[in-house]
Formats: sequence, C-alpha cells, structure tokens
Amino acid sequence: MPDPLQTLEPVTGVGLPALKNEMMLPAVLDPWAGHALYEAANLAKKVPGSKVYLVSLGQKAKLQQVMMTIAQKVSFELVAIDGPASGFTDAHEVAPALAAAIMAIPGIDKSRLLLFGGWESASRGAGATMQILGEILGITDQFEGVDEITVQDDGSFQVLERVEGGKHQVSTCAGTPAVLGWATGNLGEPRNDPQVGMANMRTVMPALQRAKPAKVAAEGVLYGRVELPKQQRNTRIVKDMPADQIAREIIEWISQK
Amino acid sequence: METILFVTSTEADGTLNRHALEALGTAVDTAVSLPGSPLVVGLFGEKIEAAANSIANCGAVRFLGVEGAEFTQARYATDAAALEMLCRASKATLVIAPATSRMARVIAGVSHRLNGRIDTHVNAIATSNDQVAITRWFYRQRMFSELTRTQRPWLLSVDSGCHTAYQGESQNVDIELLPIVLGSDHLRTKVAGFKAPSADQQTIRPDADLLFVTGAGWTKKQKDGQTHPKEAEQLILGFLRETKASLGGSKSLVDMSGEGEQVLQFMSHLNQVGQTGATPRHPKGLSTCCHGEEPHVVGWRFIRERRAVNLDPNCGWARGKADVLYVADAFEVVAKVNALLAEKHSTVNA
Amino acid sequence: MADEEQQFEQERQSLEVDIACVGFGPAMGGFLTTLSQKLAADSDHPLESAVMTGMPLQVICYERADDPGFGVSGVVTRARGIRSTLPDLDPSQIPMATPVSQEKVLYLLDPVGASRRSLGLRTADAAIKAFRWMLPVDHDALELPYTPDFLRKHDGLVMSIGQFNQWVASQLMTSGLVQIWPAMPVQQALIENDAVVGVRMVDQGVDRQGKPDAGYMPGMDIKAALTVVGDGPVSPVGRQLDERFGMPPGHEKHDWAVGMKAVIELPEHVDLKPGTVFHSFGYPEPEIFGFFYVHPERVATVGIFVPSWFDSPVRTAYRYLQHFMMHPYFWRYLKGGTLKSWGAKSLQESGKRGEPFLAGNGYARIGEGSGSTNVLTGSGVDEAWTTGTQLAESVVELLRAGQKFTRENLERTYVQRRRRSWVEKEGRVAEHARDGFQRGVISGLIGMGLAGMTGGRVSLHLETKAPHERLRSPEQFFASRLSAQELANIRRHCTQTNTPLHDAVMEACGWPAIPFDGKLLITHQDALLMGGKVQAPAGYADHVSFRDAHVCELCGARTCIEICSGQAITPGENGVPAFDREKCVHCGACLWNCSQADANGVTNLEFRAGAGGLHSAQN
Repeated sequence: MPDPLQTLEPVTGVGLPALKNEMMLPAVLDPWAGHALYEAANLAKKVPGSKVYLVSLGQKAKLQQVMMTIAQKVSFELVAIDGPASGFTDAHEVAPALAAAIMAIPGIDKSRLLLFGGWESASRGAGATMQILGEILGITDQFEGVDEITVQDDGSFQVLERVEGGKHQVSTCAGTPAVLGWATGNLGEPRNDPQVGMANMRTVMPALQRAKPAKVAAEGVLYGRVELPKQQRNTRIVKDMPADQIAREIIEWISQK
Repeated sequence: METILFVTSTEADGTLNRHALEALGTAVDTAVSLPGSPLVVGLFGEKIEAAANSIANCGAVRFLGVEGAEFTQARYATDAAALEMLCRASKATLVIAPATSRMARVIAGVSHRLNGRIDTHVNAIATSNDQVAITRWFYRQRMFSELTRTQRPWLLSVDSGCHTAYQGESQNVDIELLPIVLGSDHLRTKVAGFKAPSADQQTIRPDADLLFVTGAGWTKKQKDGQTHPKEAEQLILGFLRETKASLGGSKSLVDMSGEGEQVLQFMSHLNQVGQTGATPRHPKGLSTCCHGEEPHVVGWRFIRERRAVNLDPNCGWARGKADVLYVADAFEVVAKVNALLAEKHSTVNA
Repeated sequence: MADEEQQFEQERQSLEVDIACVGFGPAMGGFLTTLSQKLAADSDHPLESAVMTGMPLQVICYERADDPGFGVSGVVTRARGIRSTLPDLDPSQIPMATPVSQEKVLYLLDPVGASRRSLGLRTADAAIKAFRWMLPVDHDALELPYTPDFLRKHDGLVMSIGQFNQWVASQLMTSGLVQIWPAMPVQQALIENDAVVGVRMVDQGVDRQGKPDAGYMPGMDIKAALTVVGDGPVSPVGRQLDERFGMPPGHEKHDWAVGMKAVIELPEHVDLKPGTVFHSFGYPEPEIFGFFYVHPERVATVGIFVPSWFDSPVRTAYRYLQHFMMHPYFWRYLKGGTLKSWGAKSLQESGKRGEPFLAGNGYARIGEGSGSTNVLTGSGVDEAWTTGTQLAESVVELLRAGQKFTRENLERTYVQRRRRSWVEKEGRVAEHARDGFQRGVISGLIGMGLAGMTGGRVSLHLETKAPHERLRSPEQFFASRLSAQELANIRRHCTQTNTPLHDAVMEACGWPAIPFDGKLLITHQDALLMGGKVQAPAGYADHVSFRDAHVCELCGARTCIEICSGQAITPGENGVPAFDREKCVHCGACLWNCSQADANGVTNLEFRAGAGGLHSAQN
C-alpha cells in the first residue's frame, strides 16, 4: 500500500475512489501487517517446525518493490495475489481472496494455523478483514489489538490485547488455530540480512510470477464524495511572550470547563 | 424501511458505558428519521436487566438479550455467538453498535456469518428518502467518504464522540432472553483479567479533558547542544501529575522506546497518537515539541481546542491547525506551568 | 567489561556472489539492464555461477536508500544511450516522462537588488534594461534568441530519474536474473593485495557512535570476483578507492554543486506544454544555475545548482531555491502551486577532469563517480547509463572467454569501449569547459562558450582549487556589504537561537523575507515533511561526524551548517556542529563544504556510509 507517511489526496471518477498518483507513491508493507510478520518470524524461530507464509494482496509491480525491502528482514514464503491494495475496496471481498490463497497452499494444515495480520490497515483502518478471514476459515478464537503472544509448553498461548484506557486484556487460548490481529507489538524492526534476502528471493520471484489476479472491488457500495477534512483554523501565533505569561495563559485555558 | 438493531455488551456492573449510549443516540435518531422502521435493542453480558431498564424509553419495540456467566468477559467465540443470535432474532437490516474494543473484536466476523456487510469507523448516519448513508474514515482518518450500500444486513460500528449520549428515564422492560447453547469450542479461550500500568505510571486517561501531546523535540539537543532526557521526563510526568491529562506521543518519539533507545521511560506504543497510533477524543489538546504536518496531525484530529508550544513560528502547526501557537521553548513553559500549578495546589491544600 | 564485550561478540558472516554491485542509479541501471539482456539472449548457454555450483550467475546490487529511485530528480536528457539499450522505450509507460517540446535559455535579471553581481554583470544588466524594448526581455529575464547546440536536448526526454530508476529496477527484478537490495549500505570495498575482492556492509545494531548495541550484527562481507562501483559522487566506496589508488595525473575532483529540486503541481490556469524546458543563469546569484522542466499533467520540476565556486560561506540551497521560484519569470507559473516533493543531491562537477582509474583488479567504476558527467552539456544520466552498458558488454565478453576480471582485462575491454565512445569524445570537449568559473562568472561563461563553440579545441585551461581552499569566513566574504558589528550581532543572535547564519545574513544583505504560504513557500522543516519522509532506521551509526572537535571550535565558516539541505547539521555546543540523522537527506554537500582540511586535504567532516535518506513523496 502507499506509504502512510506521505501526503495523500483522494480522487474520484468512474469506479472506486482512488489516491492521486497512487502508482507513483512509495509502497510499503502495511505498518501493522509488518509488525505481524516480524512477530510471526520471531515466534517461528522459537517454535521448531514452524513456517511463516506471507500472503499478500497488492498490485504485482508494487508487491515486488515491497518485497525487495522486507525479504531481507525475516524468512518467509510469499504467496502473492495480484489485485488492488486500495483502502476503498471492501473487506468482504479482500478476505475471500486471501482465504482462497491460504487454502491453496500445498499441505497447509488449518488446525495448526496461527493467522497473523495487522489489527487494522493503514488504508481502510477497518479492523474487519482478519475477522472475516478467520470466519471463512472456521477459526473462532480471535484476538484484536494484540501486543504480545507467549506460547506455553503445552501448546496453549497467552495473548495481550489492547483495550480501553491503556490497558491490556490477558487471555489464554488452548491452542491453534487462532487469528491474531496485531497492534504494534514490542519488537523492533529486524535487521537487514543479505543471506535472508538471497534465501527468500528463491521463492519470492517465482511466487510473484505465479500471482493470480484477484477481482477485488466493493460491490454494492455507492461512494459519494470523498474528501480531506477541512482543517483550517485561524491560528493566533504568540511570539515574544515570556514563558511565565504563556504558562499563566495555558493554565487559565486548561482550567476553563 | 429498515429494522434497526442497536446492539452492545453490558459492563461488568450491568450498566452501559458512555460510548454505548452515544451509539444508542445514533440508533434512535436513525429510527426516528426513517418512518416505519422499528428499533430493536439487543444486549449481552453476565446480567443485562439493569442495562435494559436504563434505556427503557429509547423507543425500542423489542428488547432482546443473551446472558450468562460465559458472557461476563470479552471473548471472541462467545461474544460472536451472542451477537449472531441477537442479529438473527431481531431480523435487523441495519445493526448499529459502539466501536468499543469488545464489540469491535467481533462485529466484522459476525457480519460474515450473517452474509451481511460491515462498515467501521462510522461517525455519522444520515437518512433521506428512506435511504441510509454513512460517513466513515479511510486511510487512518486522513480522508472521509459518504457511502451507501445495497446489501443487508448492514452492520455499523460507530466511533465514540460522534453523538450525544442517550439519556432517558429508567423503567422495567420485558426482555426476550434468547437461549444459547455453548460447546467446548466456544470456551477454548479463558480471560484471565487485565494488565494495567500501576497508578503512578498511568499516562493514558481516555476520560481526561486534556490530551498532552509530546513530540520528538523533547529528546533532541537543546540550546546548550545537549539532550536532557531526565529533565524532559520530570517535566512531562510533573505536568501529567498536576493536570491529570492523558499523554500522547508522536510516532518518532515512541519508536525510540521501541528501538531500545528508551529516552522517556514511561512511554510505549500505547501512547502513540497519529499514524499507526490512536486518534483519541478529548475536549482540549496541548502539543509540545511536535510538528503538526499531515500525517502527524491526524493523531489529534478529534481534539476540539488545540494549542501548541513550539520554537518554530512557521511550523506546520501554525498553518491553520492549532488555535494558538506559542513560539517558545517547551522546556521553559512546561516548567513554569508545573511550578504555578504546584503552587496553586499547595495553596488549596493549605 | 569482559561480559559486555562477550555479549556483543558476533562473528562476521560472509557470502560469496559472482558480481557485487554498489549503488543503484542510472549507471547501474544501464549495467544491469544490458547484463540481463545478454544473459537472457543466450539462455541456451547460461553463464554458470562460480560460487554456487549449478546456479546461474549471482549478480547482487546493494543500494543504501530504502527503495531504488527514492529521490526527487527531474531531468532532461537526450537519452541516446538509454534508447540504444531500450529501443522500444515508450515514455508514456514511465510516470512523468515526456519528449522535450521546447527549450529556452534565460538570463535572469535581479528583480530584488540583493544579488552579488560584479561590475561587469551590473553593466550588462543596465544595458539589457536600457534596451529592453528591443531585446527579448520578458518578466525580468532575457530569453536567449537561440539555445547553443551543446546545450540542446531537443530530441530528448523530460523525466523523473526517481520514476525512471523505479521502472528500470522493476523490469530488472521481473527478469529474475539479477537482484537489487535496497536499504543495504555498503561500508567499504574489501581490498587484498591491491585487488578488490568484494565489499563489506555497514554494521547494524550499533549505537550512534558505532559501538555494538542490542541486536548487534557486524556488516557482512560479500566476496565477489568483480565489484562494480556505481555509488555516485559522495559515497564511501568510490572515495575509498580514490584514496587507496590515487587519481590519474592531472585529475582531481575540485568542482562540486548541490542540486536542490522541487516537484510542483502547477496552478490550474497554467498551460505550459509538457516537455517545456527552461535553463537559467544569473539569479538568485550569478553563480547559481537553475532549471524548470514541465512534466505531463501540469507538474513541473524546478531546481537550482549551488556550485562550489560560489564562494559565499552562508550558501544555502533551500533559501536560494525559494528566491529562484519567486523570480517573476517563473512565479507567474508557480504562484498558487503546491509542493509535491522535494530533495537534494551533490553533483561531481569536475566531469572528465575528475575521472579516477576506471578499473583495477577485481573492480570497475561506472557513472558519475567515474567522471562520466558532461559539465559542458549539463548531462549526466545518459552518460552514466552508457558507461554501465559498456561495462556489461565487457563483463559478458570476459566471462564467455573464461577470463578473469584483472586490471589488464578490464582495461582492454571496458576502458577501451569507453574510450572509443561518444561519452569520452564529448567528455574531452567538456574537460576544461568550466575551469573559468574558478575565476568568476563571466570568465566561466566565456570558457564554456569557447569550449562549446570550438568543440573543445579552445578552452580556458586554469588551475582549480578544492572547495576548502576557496572558502573564507563570513567576515571576509561579506566585508563589503556588512560591517563587522552587524555581522557580530547576527552571529550573537544566531548562537542564542541555535540557527544557521544564512537567513539573517541574506536579509541583512537585502533579500526579502519569504512570504510563507503553507503550500509552496514553506519552511525548510515543512519541506522535509511535505516533500517526503526521511528514513533514518535505528541501529546504524551516524554517518556524519566531526574528526577533531577542536578544529570545529576554531572554524569561522561552518559552511557545513549553512549548506545542509535538511537542516540536519545545526550549531552545537562550543561551536562543534550537531548532527541529526532524522533530517539528513544524504545529499553529501557537507562533505565538500567543510572548510577545514589537514595537510593531505582530508576535511574535518567525515561522511560515511549510512542507511536511509529522503524518500521523496512523489519523485
């Protein structure tokens, strides 16, 4: 998806709304999905016999660009789907496309699946795709806003989920399968490792070549106007006021009900 | 014509929280503006009677409920089962729920079970000529769109702070309790409780009147060419102590903590506002050492009154985003604020 | 202590490849494209890897930035070399590319009266103004009646090098024959017995001083039979080779410039034809050249070059770019526009005169760092690309013949190909074309004109000086314009507010304040945010540092602070500048703007390999 750090502008026309110059914007792996990938790789390192698949939907050219960066960070096998990464597509259409790709992975054992993904995406920000995907795959232990997973010896695992007020809900799940929608977690970004990159590249390029086009849109949705919020305020700029006086003004302002 | 279901979980004490009452306010308005569209209330939790009675006069034609010890705590499998049952029993075409962490965890999954559609981050529902249209955010509160859908049921997860909370007289109501059978598959997850920072480390206060936004400037070299992380930490914590404000940080600031450069010990990713962080709603916001350009500014998009302290008079914040920009050194200003407030509090206490 | 050391003890890993490439720009684009074409064309007889039995040739390119083509970079190029490699090139497939439709060369008059103009230029200006009724003067600019042949790009393309590089990288990756790894800075070449045997990546998991920290991973050694160095003019590997092997007699890299550009969405009423090209000189300072290229869909790239021979110690590309945009000739198009992207880059302006040894045992150099830029025609991209293709042809020739990448073999193939090509022929014409600028703008223009008109047969052969030999203190440079007291007051104010001198000095010299509009005329810091996003990943050492604090303390110029394209270098404690990696756009201008050099000409500011840089919003 387009780097969410850039200034984005919507355009409307025929079909779904889009971003201005979408193909020219730098592409990144969605920040939440990125965290989920690093957490998955971290867990896989600790649990022998685990394997990380990265199932990614995006325009092929952009997926390729993104892979050049993330494929150096952690080991994974890519399952690529060629389709729009737009925020204006419907989670109800994205999730089946992802589910089909997952089910098509040779030898995949659904009962042993830990499905990691971003809690929300930086495009739609809906927090819907992972839940729907879990439902399609029949997984009813689901966690959202996850910051931590700790696997116990018996195969159960403890999960910390973000809830209101800066708190975490602590749950223990008996075992796989489960869906974990990740918040930011606690891991730093992994280092770039040329060896990991070269090893991943053996599967990334064939996966990109194999990528099947997915028709993902938003059937039944009629978009009206799409706009940036009007956020112009008349800003009073206060220069050369002593800190003491500024402090008094601020205190008076925060005391007003 | 629609059948509108307002649905939510109840609190541990059997009440409804403010966010739920705001969503109910939205549901009531929607029902009123669509003549002939009945409103149904669906509640689930350990005990729901008190909650149902508290909204007895909201205009609902039916009160449906799922209750039991299994619904005391938030768990996907049981909550989704309850929500699915309430939606099916109500025959709703439009389902309106608050986007609390508990409801947000299950509502999209349930929309799939119902062969319906979900929209989240909804902040307004409008009706005209029997047509329902919503306004929702895209790209992390960067842009919004009005849209409508042909599919039903249509489930709407409504953000907080978008409607006044419903208020009404309490009265006993008849609740249709729906029987639900749970298997062991529903109970594979056990909720152990909550993990919260200790009271003195509590920096996120959703109900605070003021959001205090700190930028990476607090960790940068100051006038003397040195960084002053300890002083920054004391000033920020002092300010929070004196004002009971909630603390937000820019991405670059909280990232430093995440990367092991623990500059401000008490900050974590939970404090992040904007970008991949939260977009909290508070009546007031004070931003310090923080650049206000898009996309950083989305973090305080829902702050009503905004002031900033920054050394750069031409900073992005000055460009029509804050109400007041004080061109000053935040270290100096916050120290003064803290000193004045401490003085004031000690006078009051004396 | 022992524990601490043990905690970070990590073995340095190594990896073997066949060809290791440093830096992905137009030259490497040319190299890898031609190499891929040749490998694909003869797929029946694939070249086998010498390091991985049974595998095809392992060709890996490492790029410091977090994406190929990350930077903002409008360019006009005749694209002769590019078209020869890609005969079916369709500009419409590359965002922002379009054929050149019209060209104009402008001499810009000074509408604000603050520019430092010599008596000669002031006389010329007065004459132009007096005869404006009969001269093609429009909005304070003299439109030259024709574009000299050597400057003409009439058959070329207006492009964004960022978009072009992305497009090339994407084609290359799709081929699967070569790998490009961004966000992978190369620290240095590995040299054994005067042969380059590969490269070493930068250490990761270190603190800002480079000491091992959490997640320490020593930079991996990549061993290769051939190392292709195309890392541009300021990057570390090329500089290391220059230091180690010296320069050919008479060659030196004395002339530099920082190019700063903005991509601007033009206001709706502007109907400039896509492909329109303006070259300018004369304003905001006579030494500063400018350009204005029109892309499709009402987008323009506008920029300036601040050269090392512009002796002002408070030279600032950003402030001058704003005055350039506000020149009436351009402002009529730009007023009301929106900045979409922004960035800066150093240019090696010595061209052929700065050519190092092009090949040695185990290595070859291509592109701008190899002196391919033509400083007369103002063209570098196509030349760089072409040197890459020449190397690729030579590499395949040697591989097919089973010959090693020795200095002799590379000179016989690559260097000879280059010597026979138009790049060399035209480079020779340009070799001394700009020497005159070391003496002043008028002698510079005369020198260019002579070289251009005579095909290089006549030009001013002059001694050149390194930038640090020219730089003076502000007190010396501004003596005729500002009193010692005025400058002392400015210095005091700037020290108190921790700001560079240039804004205050320029305003004291008569430059008007910038009327910020929040869209196009924005603060330098806003340009960093609106024009893109600086990537400064944690876990890497600071790539800019100051060798001897005492030398900085005594430095009167501190031009490194003034020139810094991202305000990443700021006044610091006791006069030693502070460096903030989160703002560094990796333009490298600080490297050649340090006025303090030791007896060997090594400047006090150290510019090493570093990760990240500016990821322009819409390059």
